[in-house]
Amino acid sequence: MTDSSDPRTFDNLRLELRRGCLVLAVLAALRQEHHGYALRKALAERGLEIEESTLYPLLRRLETQGLLASEWREEGKRNKRFYRLSAAGKKIFAQLLQEWQAINASVQNIL
Amino acid sequence: MELIERYLQAVRKHLPWKRQDDIIAELRANLESQLEDKEAELGRPLTAGEAEAWLQQIGSPRRMAAPYCPQRYLIGPTLYPVFWLVMLTVFLWVMIIHVFGSAVQIATGSPSWSAVLDAVRSVPSMLLMNGAWVVLIFAVIEFAVHARSKSNASAPDSSDWSPSDLPPVQNESTGGQKPRSYACAMVETMFGVLFLVWLLLLPKYPYLLLGPGAAFPHSSGANVSPFRLAPVWSQVYWCVLVLNLIQLGWNCRDLLCGAWRAPKPSRRIALSVLGLVPLGLLLAARDRSWVTLKDPALDGARYGAALDAINHALYVVFVILCTIFVLRLVWIIGRICLDSFRRRAAAQQ
Repeated sequence: MTDSSDPRTFDNLRLELRRGCLVLAVLAALRQEHHGYALRKALAERGLEIEESTLYPLLRRLETQGLLASEWREEGKRNKRFYRLSAAGKKIFAQLLQEWQAINASVQNIL
Repeated sequence: MELIERYLQAVRKHLPWKRQDDIIAELRANLESQLEDKEAELGRPLTAGEAEAWLQQIGSPRRMAAPYCPQRYLIGPTLYPVFWLVMLTVFLWVMIIHVFGSAVQIATGSPSWSAVLDAVRSVPSMLLMNGAWVVLIFAVIEFAVHARSKSNASAPDSSDWSPSDLPPVQNESTGGQKPRSYACAMVETMFGVLFLVWLLLLPKYPYLLLGPGAAFPHSSGANVSPFRLAPVWSQVYWCVLVLNLIQLGWNCRDLLCGAWRAPKPSRRIALSVLGLVPLGLLLAARDRSWVTLKDPALDGARYGAALDAINHALYVVFVILCTIFVLRLVWIIGRICLDSFRRRAAAQQ
C-alpha cells in the first residue's frame, strides 16, 4: 500500500489536478498569439509556472488535436513558432470553460 | 551556445524521427529566447556553470523528449489484468505438466540425480519461452484492439459490451458452504488433468496403480500368478475415463466463463448419478466375479476358495461404496430441495 505521507503521493495528485487546468490555461492564454517561451512567461507572470518539458509538447498535442493553429515567423531576428487558438479551439475552449466553472462551483459547494 | 546545441542534439535522439527537425527548431528558438532574457537580466553572458545549472533545471534530454513521443505500451491497462491472470495460469500449468512429465520420464527411463537436475535446469527457459508466447499473443491482441478503437473513435466503448451480455449472478447460497474461490477451482481442474493423465498412462504403466505388484500378474515360472482381472474392469476403466473428461470439461468451461463460484445444483446431481455408473457396472458383473483364474481347470482346486474369498470381499466393498454414493446423492438432492424451499419462502415474505 502507498504511504499517504509519502511526498510522491502529493506530487502525483497535484500533477493530476494541474493537468486538466493547464490545458484550459494554455487555451485561454492563446486567445492571443504567443510563441512557446513567451507563453510560458505570460503564464508564469499570472502565477502559473509550467515546465518547458510540459508546455512545449502540450502545444504540439493541442495543435495535433486541431485546437491550435501555428506558423513560423521571424521575431527579433529569430524564427519562432507562434500559436493561437483555432476556430475549433475557440469552440472547445468555451465548452471547457463552462465545464470548469461548473466543477469549480460544485467543489466550492462541497468544500 | 555550444551547450544548447549539445543539449538539443541529445534531445533529438529521443524524438520521433519524422518531427525531429521541427521540434528541435522550435526548442532551439525557445531556449535561445530564454537565454537572451537571462543574459539581459544579468547584463552579461551566462558562465559555463550557470548555463549548466539552467539546463539542469530544464530537465534531462530524455525527459524533455518523452512527452513529444506518443504513449506506447505493449499491453495496455485494459488488457493487463487478463494478461496477468493468463500469465500466472500458464506458468502454473506449465510447471505442473513439466513436473509430471519429468517424473514419468525419469521413472520410465533410468532414474538418476542428473536427470532430476536436467529437469530442474530446463524450468527457467521453459517458463521464459511460454511467458514470451503469452506476451506476444497479448501484444498482438492489444495492437488489434488499439487499431480497432482508432478506427471506431466515435464510439470507443459502447459497442464493446452490452449489460445484457453479463453473466447471471452466481447463486452464492451453496447450502451454507463458502463459494468456491478461483484458486480452488483452478487447483481442482489441475488435479483433474493430472488424474486424467494418470488414467491414460495406467494401461501402459500398470505399476502407477499397483506399484511393484504390477509385475506379479504377468510373471512367469515359479512366481506365476494364477489370478487375472475380469473383463468388466476394462469397461469400468473407460467409463471412469469418460466421466473424468466430462467433469474436466465442465470445470474448464466454468473457469473460462467465470462461473466457478458455485456449480449448478443440476450438475452436482448429474455428477453424483454418473459416479454411480462405474459402480453399477461392477455390481452387474457376471457371477459377481471381478477376479478370475487364468486357468480354472488347472488351478480351480487349489485357488478356488481363495478366489471366492477375494470376490466376496470385493462384493462387500462395492456394496458399501454404492450405498455411500447413493446416500450422498440423496443428501445432495435433499440439500438442494431445502435451499430451493428456503429461497422461495424468503421471496414470498
